Amino acid sequence: MSEAQKRIRWGTFAVLAGVALLLTYLDSTGNLGGALAVVRNPFTAVLSFTSTRSESAAGLLEGPRDLQTARTEIAELQARVAELERENEELREIEGEWRILQDLFNRARQSPEFTRQIASVIGHDTSPSIRSIIIDKGTADGIRVGMPVESSRGLVGIIYRAAPNFSQVTLITDNASAIPARLGNSRATGILSGGGLGGPLTMDWVDLKYNLEIGEVVLTSGLGGSFPQDIVVGRVIEVNRSEANLFQQAVVQPATDFENLEIVFVITNFQPVNTAIFDNP
Amino acid sequence: MKSSIYIAIPVMLALSVLQTAVLPYFSFLNLSPQLPLLVALAWGLLRGLDEGMLWAFVGGLCMDLFSISPIGLTALAYMVAVTAVLWLQQAFPPGHIIMPILLAALTTAIYLIINLLFLRLFSFLSNLQVITTLWPLILLNAIAILPIYWLLYGLDRIFRPRRLEL
Repeated sequence: MSEAQKRIRWGTFAVLAGVALLLTYLDSTGNLGGALAVVRNPFTAVLSFTSTRSESAAGLLEGPRDLQTARTEIAELQARVAELERENEELREIEGEWRILQDLFNRARQSPEFTRQIASVIGHDTSPSIRSIIIDKGTADGIRVGMPVESSRGLVGIIYRAAPNFSQVTLITDNASAIPARLGNSRATGILSGGGLGGPLTMDWVDLKYNLEIGEVVLTSGLGGSFPQDIVVGRVIEVNRSEANLFQQAVVQPATDFENLEIVFVITNFQPVNTAIFDNP
Repeated sequence: MKSSIYIAIPVMLALSVLQTAVLPYFSFLNLSPQLPLLVALAWGLLRGLDEGMLWAFVGGLCMDLFSISPIGLTALAYMVAVTAVLWLQQAFPPGHIIMPILLAALTTAIYLIINLLFLRLFSFLSNLQVITTLWPLILLNAIAILPIYWLLYGLDRIFRPRRLEL
């Protein structure tokens, strides 16, 4: 390779690295939001289509493992399939809609003061270090940055970025997530921190004067103004307490199954409190 | 190299859609192989450092479209990792079957280190302990490179057959 070719190669590398750094800087300072939304928007339909089919395929692969049981089941089912097939298809459609509406109804009944937007999960974050999802509702549906997101079982996360037709949600299990939380029985408060991929959800900074119990429900405390009060987050499964420390820690099992999340609800009428005014005294 | 970018853009966009909407449903330990990174590395092994670097940059940008991390961050991490490994690879004997496996593991390790450091710098990570849960990705990518490399090798031979001199 000649000297000129080497110069071109490393010149290209320097230019591309510079472009990447410039984009990173512009995006992290919020100067690329509009332009990137235009680029990302067309992918919403593609993601929605692909995600739905992947779910179906994954479901098929999780069929019965035991061959003998599977054969018996197949023989039984084949006898009934012809009769029930058409009826089943209709019922499945109705059941799917019914389940979504039932979940929404149950959540709405528990906290009728909130209005919710139903959204489907159409993608997961491509970075292995970050826990976030992509949903199929955006600013066109009234979604705004900072809105809380929940499932039928509990808190999911917060809207991080919103484009016209989709939004990105930071999950509570993300490594950078920190949510003020409260325990149901002992009323102890602390900060719920995500452990990232495979890491546990922990509630830190809990005062030693409280006696934490295994199985205690963890709820949002509402402190800080980012989340409404009393949304279920999970249950305490382990307590790390040492008199040598100033605080104790609780390991929390999230109520939401993040690996099989299909439908979420965005609370659209909750107004997060802007605490930025306290940042610069 | 110029014509290669016209292939890289649609290929990497398609792979990024697969990465965000398909692979999470078939994950191992909640992890799935980083297809754009592996394709960029395999392409670089077959077509040289310059093309590998360009494909890694394009692949990283496409991946950033579906992540909450700032755009450009994965592009930078992919490009540096692939370029460094392809540059080092010139010192090793070519053609050995174990080489793609070792290089994929090394590329993934470099990518993770750069990515995590930058994520920490931009406050997307509260600590770097997350790296302890990510090491299976190195293993996963090292295994996944083989079918990808062989597939691209086959395609390369079909579209660009070697001349035989008698």
